Amino acid sequence: MVSAIFALSIQLPLRFGVFSFAGVGSYGIGGYTTAILVTRHDCPILVAIALGTLLAAAIGYPMAWLLHRLSGLYLAMATVAFDLLVSVLAVNGGELTGGATGLFGVLVDVTTLHLVVITAVVVALVAVSEHGRLGRKIDVAREDPELSAALGIKVPRIRRIAFVLSGALGGLAGGLNTAMTTTIAPENISFALIILAVTMIVVGGVGSWKGAVIGAVVFTWLPTVLAFIGEWKGVVYGLIVAAVAIWLPGGIVGVSTDILHKLRRARRAGDIATAAPSGVDPSSVDPGSDVSPTDDGADDLPVVQTKELR
Amino acid sequence: MQDLVNVATLASIYLLFAIGMSLVWGSIGILNLAHASVFACSAFAGYLVLERVSLPIIPVVAICVVVGAALSTLVQIVAFEPILNRAHDMRTAEFQILVGGLGVDAALLAIVQKATTSAPFGFTEGSFAIKTFTWGSIRISNIQLIIIVVGALVATAAALWMRRSRTGLALRAIGIDAETAALMGIKRTRLARLTMTMAGGLAGLAGALLTYNLGSVESTSANALLIKAFAAIILGGVGSVAGVVVGCVTLAFAETMVLTHTAGTWVSAISFGLILLVLLLRPQGIFGRAEVRRT
Repeated sequence: MVSAIFALSIQLPLRFGVFSFAGVGSYGIGGYTTAILVTRHDCPILVAIALGTLLAAAIGYPMAWLLHRLSGLYLAMATVAFDLLVSVLAVNGGELTGGATGLFGVLVDVTTLHLVVITAVVVALVAVSEHGRLGRKIDVAREDPELSAALGIKVPRIRRIAFVLSGALGGLAGGLNTAMTTTIAPENISFALIILAVTMIVVGGVGSWKGAVIGAVVFTWLPTVLAFIGEWKGVVYGLIVAAVAIWLPGGIVGVSTDILHKLRRARRAGDIATAAPSGVDPSSVDPGSDVSPTDDGADDLPVVQTKELR
Repeated sequence: MQDLVNVATLASIYLLFAIGMSLVWGSIGILNLAHASVFACSAFAGYLVLERVSLPIIPVVAICVVVGAALSTLVQIVAFEPILNRAHDMRTAEFQILVGGLGVDAALLAIVQKATTSAPFGFTEGSFAIKTFTWGSIRISNIQLIIIVVGALVATAAALWMRRSRTGLALRAIGIDAETAALMGIKRTRLARLTMTMAGGLAGLAGALLTYNLGSVESTSANALLIKAFAAIILGGVGSVAGVVVGCVTLAFAETMVLTHTAGTWVSAISFGLILLVLLLRPQGIFGRAEVRRT
């Protein structure tokens, strides 16, 4: 559950066309805020989590302003730096953050019901942003910023929103995680966490909330199934991520969408499916060009055009 | 003065690691996150060989270089080439390369960690005896000298090679405009492999020398080096040899200063802060081309 929200915090900006891993840092901010409020100030847990979420979102806003000039790899690495900076601050926080050992004893009663409700609400809200006018706006802003600017879509605003939402989701996930595990420590916010987040999203699929949820479920449940590979877990994870990145850019969702397309096409006997099927958004970040010959219009752009942006 | 020696050593280690990364990134546009695992695996290969036979320093370094070069080429052929061939625009390709590199990196490092049970591993004493020279108040060991000299040599060689040779010219052309370069008859795939081979060899060299210098390395330290190298590259400017040198020296200097004058828990913050700062103020780095796309 928590993983799903966390995965969404990284995946959402990606879908907005913002290549940001800042959700990991927000996760730390939310986690620490919750821990500090509960242990030091006896704050009720839901209020603490809410405050942590707000704080992480609030930090997302100036960050969006600061990093608005960057895109692509530069932005990704800047946000990675931000994540690791959060963990360094946690180590050096002294009394407030409990130094290298972190904080523990966040004893609260968060029931499964709470979790289910929160996760459902979050997923529903994210799902809404994928449909209708808003969803299309976001897709265009991701696929072709110049075009969308010409169409009157305010791309910078969409990107700022992405940062803030990513911060909020990350903070929420961090707060919930602290509540569930009763501890938070600097090593929770690490390169490994970034890798885990990316793993979930990439394996599930980058294009849609379904991908993040599927990825989170798979990787929460996989270790129990693969207990026998216990010590090889890291190797297997790494290989899975690499393999998916190389051969299935759309992830599980991408592949299943492609299969759906194929089935539909087979039924229409040669008709080319151009209309997007209702409820399924075919424009995953990359409809794996070799997995399926299905193109959804977005790829009709000449290949050379991206070169001109340099 | 003692600080200067330490700065030079640290900078040379960063430099050997970062120069390959920078060349790859600047020319073929791949930010190779698997670089760290190539580094760790090479050092580990050296360790495995030394476990069985006792060799002097030169063959050991040679083994590490060869392993690094081979591994790096393999990563390029197995992982990055398919991605580049299939992606229909640079943005998706960038994302996939980053993620693919991350996956390869995690897998290889996990293998090394599994083999060493996450304990630090080192080269046995027999292969190279560390001597320390003292001049007045300065202490410098022979391995530090070697590292500094090798670092300087590699940087000079790389700079000359990029400036003077036809291959260097071709690489710079690819970095500026890959499409046009390909139309002019530059064989991109072959050159990309060559660059990755060289970068891998340099990573292996860095791995071997660092292990000799510290006595032992941990597989987990590789990713920290990755971030530091990234900071140095960003600071100097992508693809510029002079830039990487300046970046590494600056970073090493700042870290050494903080280490000697404070408690040391802040050291890792320097590279992260530096990355953010440089990207905010001058995204193309000191010597870099204006490459940051604005939309």
